[in-house]
Amino acid sequence: MTVATMVRPRRRARLPFSPWHLVLIPATIVLIFPFVWLAVTSIETPAEALHFPPILDPHTLRLANYPNAWHSAPFGRFFLNSAVVAVVTVLCNLVLCSLAGYAFARFRFLGRGVLFVTIMATLMVPFQVTMIPQFIITKWLGVNVLAGVGINHIGALILPNAATAFGVFFLRQFFRTLPLEYEESARVDGASRLTVLWRIVLPLSLPALATLAALTFLDSWNSFLWPLIVITSTGQMTLPLGLATFQGAHSTQWTLLMAGNVMSLLPMMLIFFVAQRYFVRSVAATGLAGT
Amino acid sequence: MTRHRPWLAAAASLAALALALTGCGSGGAGNATGAIQIWEGYTGVEARTFAHLIAEYEREHPGQKIASLFVNNDDSLQKVLTAVRGGSPPDIAYLYGSWAPNVAEIPQVVTLTSVVRRPGVNWDDFWVGERDVATVNGRVIGIPALVDNLAVVYNKALFAKAGLAAPSPDWTWPQFVADAKKLTIPASKQFGTAYVTPGTEDTVWHWEALLWEAGGHLLTPDNKKAAFDSGAGLASLDTLRTMAVTDHSAYLDPTDSAYANLFNSGKIGMLVTGPWDLSAFPNVHYGVQVMPSYPGTDGGHQTISGPDNWVIFNNGASRVAAAEKFLLWLTAPAQVRYFSLKTGDLPTRRSVADAPDFDGQMNAALPGVSTFIDNLANVSQARPQIPQYPKISQILGTMVVSVLLGKSQPAAALSAAAQQVNQVLATG
Amino acid sequence: MAASPAVAGRRRGQARAAPRRLMASEQFAGWAFVTPGVAIILLFGAVPIVWSAVMSFQRSNLLTPSTPFVGLSNYRQMVHDPVVQQAIMHTLVYTALFVPGTMVVGLFLAVAMNRQIRLLWLYRTAAYATMAISTISEALVFIWLFDPSYGIVNYLFSLLGISQQQFLNSPSQALYVIVVMTIWGWTGFAVVIYLAALQGVPQTLVEAAAIDGAGPWSTFRKVTLPLLSPASLFLAVWLTINALQLFDEVYLSTQGGPLDATTVLVYYLYEQAFQNFNFGYASAIAYFLFIVILVVTAIQFRVGRRYTYYRS
Repeated sequence: MTVATMVRPRRRARLPFSPWHLVLIPATIVLIFPFVWLAVTSIETPAEALHFPPILDPHTLRLANYPNAWHSAPFGRFFLNSAVVAVVTVLCNLVLCSLAGYAFARFRFLGRGVLFVTIMATLMVPFQVTMIPQFIITKWLGVNVLAGVGINHIGALILPNAATAFGVFFLRQFFRTLPLEYEESARVDGASRLTVLWRIVLPLSLPALATLAALTFLDSWNSFLWPLIVITSTGQMTLPLGLATFQGAHSTQWTLLMAGNVMSLLPMMLIFFVAQRYFVRSVAATGLAGT
Repeated sequence: MTRHRPWLAAAASLAALALALTGCGSGGAGNATGAIQIWEGYTGVEARTFAHLIAEYEREHPGQKIASLFVNNDDSLQKVLTAVRGGSPPDIAYLYGSWAPNVAEIPQVVTLTSVVRRPGVNWDDFWVGERDVATVNGRVIGIPALVDNLAVVYNKALFAKAGLAAPSPDWTWPQFVADAKKLTIPASKQFGTAYVTPGTEDTVWHWEALLWEAGGHLLTPDNKKAAFDSGAGLASLDTLRTMAVTDHSAYLDPTDSAYANLFNSGKIGMLVTGPWDLSAFPNVHYGVQVMPSYPGTDGGHQTISGPDNWVIFNNGASRVAAAEKFLLWLTAPAQVRYFSLKTGDLPTRRSVADAPDFDGQMNAALPGVSTFIDNLANVSQARPQIPQYPKISQILGTMVVSVLLGKSQPAAALSAAAQQVNQVLATG
Repeated sequence: MAASPAVAGRRRGQARAAPRRLMASEQFAGWAFVTPGVAIILLFGAVPIVWSAVMSFQRSNLLTPSTPFVGLSNYRQMVHDPVVQQAIMHTLVYTALFVPGTMVVGLFLAVAMNRQIRLLWLYRTAAYATMAISTISEALVFIWLFDPSYGIVNYLFSLLGISQQQFLNSPSQALYVIVVMTIWGWTGFAVVIYLAALQGVPQTLVEAAAIDGAGPWSTFRKVTLPLLSPASLFLAVWLTINALQLFDEVYLSTQGGPLDATTVLVYYLYEQAFQNFNFGYASAIAYFLFIVILVVTAIQFRVGRRYTYYRS
């Protein structure tokens, strides 16, 4: 991502850099601080990690924490499971939530209001209460519909989240901010509603789609409680469950846990880094003159 | 739309991969034949040792397969209850002893009363505290998986620096309080001792040890009324109050996580804790001593123990039989000894602890643990095994924390708590 | 409801000019588009809601299958439970601080990052990163930062001459520490949302306002903010829904303490369900919370309707 410093009209404060840095740098320090702690602890020896207050300048480094953590459980398998679940969940959400969000945003149909309220309502009940019926439904589906979405299959991690009220709500809000002219002129030209969505609306919505993709990926990657309930064999575990194996009831292997956490973070950071340029709509993609 | 095709192709192939992988899931818990499912929370050395034992069992018993799944012990109840509700319980689960009175009500839990009386099992070889926790209303619902107790771990260097003699086996609470005060150096942010204050059972059971040492009891023998609002209760709360509020010699940890690292960093003089924490103190030359006593009472140096159970769930007669067979093998003296020596966990059987070379070997691997082993003999009572205990625990937790934070006086806190406890016990 | 200009234009191939409201093809399209997604959401979301409502009228301990119907007694117990009243108070106070706090911080940072300056990638990555960190790591760091004896915050306070605070040890301060912790954790989310929304603010309008003589703050208030209002509504609703269901951070740090100071509704119902085995009661609390969230969200949408501006 190329970053160019814009030529600014001369203002009163003649700083050689944008004054916004003065705000962003302290903010970044505050935001990044826990990562520093995480990363430093992950390369410490247990002797120095078991300190309070935490030691941020260790005498001895132990990079072996990383291979040790990796080998203490089948992390390759955990990564693969988490990746498959996350990617498929994101794709399903992009498709299903675009369709539904667009309909809620633009179409008038009987029951639209009630339906929207109902799906929003699904966000309002805490998981502690819904996990048991969800478990029972998942089990039933696995037995009666498709084994791949039943208990102890990663399909069971994908399906309940293949479309979320969050995604529908988010895209509905976003679609409503788009000016209607483009869609309407396309309809006048005879395009079907689906084509309008696919060819006009979605290209204009790249920032929102990228955002939804990143957030959905994040949610799926870090999801712990539902996989805990549903997965009953080690080979199907996802990354958060794998990381939990470092935490016993009374003793935690901090250095390995932090190393595992850092390894778990990296794919997400990579995705955010890559997706960053989609968060910002490039001029060419908008097709709007003068922007 | 050639521009989009690569994405579509990628998406399609990933979806195909996903479907393929979803088909690869193993057939969960509960199928008629297949591996016995165990849910446990072992990490690190414990996990490796347990895996080794499983492999050994499978070698010695061809045709028997055991599949273990890690579930963090704190989360295991949610998972077990959901599975039970959904009709897919595991075959064996590691469950906290404090849940036993409630777990006993699950219909799928297998009664083991006759199983543990089989010849060769030697039920009485298990410590009395464990057997009490595994038995609910005369019905044995679990086999002991873990035993521990509370003792005092102290920093020898800090004691020496303060010019204090190390705690002796017949020391008293007044001595503990005095030592803690001497070990508290505000200038260097050093505390004499620590106490966890989230108000959960962890807070409560630390205090219960003091109550018993002061000769008190939690409830009347019939578990119908509170008995802790007594002189013993007052003495125990006064001790805590002196340290937390008057002397400021106790570091109060509301998060239950900082105290251990603090001790390891040499910031705390003494800790009342269990053997599980010993491996978290690599930087400290520590000593272990039994709990202090209250002079003039009959409580002695007794301590409190928190055993955990292996519980068997009924997934059919053949699976129950296989599960019982495995558990009896796992908890046989040979395996208990092996597990203890490898992990430093206290032995669940007295015969293992009494073996001549045992303490020496344990101490070589984990210094100070032999005091905890001997301390098992100091466990003479257990927490009330009643279903209302969790509610009582919350009331007691609030009582202890409010005294520690200086929000209430011991006498008032005791009577208020006793009133609430009696209400809970009355409504059943 | 968006104001859709009823362009009653001729549509090629459409013989009738039916009133838009009841156009059959639109009805069909609407239902066809929503069905796949909504079916999944309702199957896994709506069924549990009904189930929990039913549970709230029963006495259940999750241990035995017997769940006798007890009518309204769980709800009556809730009315008389002082901890529930405290929990409601804590939940509301928390939400009232957390939601505006996160939105303001997120908006501020998003505006700051919505420009071409050096190190932009670093700032944005830092913001996103806060979302990636696991809750337990977040909790551990904040427990340390706010430790009364060893934490950095008290250290900074001592430099500024402020007396040492007890933070998580103090029943009057613990909840605010959780507010700070969670604002930190959600800032990245708010930044991401606002950044995406800021892309929809056409530079032409901003420049036009500047040309007309408006200062930067005025432009922000009169041009940018209204154009951001859909995102703000979204954030307000989403953050509120989450805030009213706060659980993880409390579970991982204070466990509802000290002295129930951080016991919020979901934490209390978790205690009731999985420590006291009182699942019917927990379901009643959950259902009560559900109604509260529903009402609050409805109010937000209604108020939002007046203040959000959609360009269509």
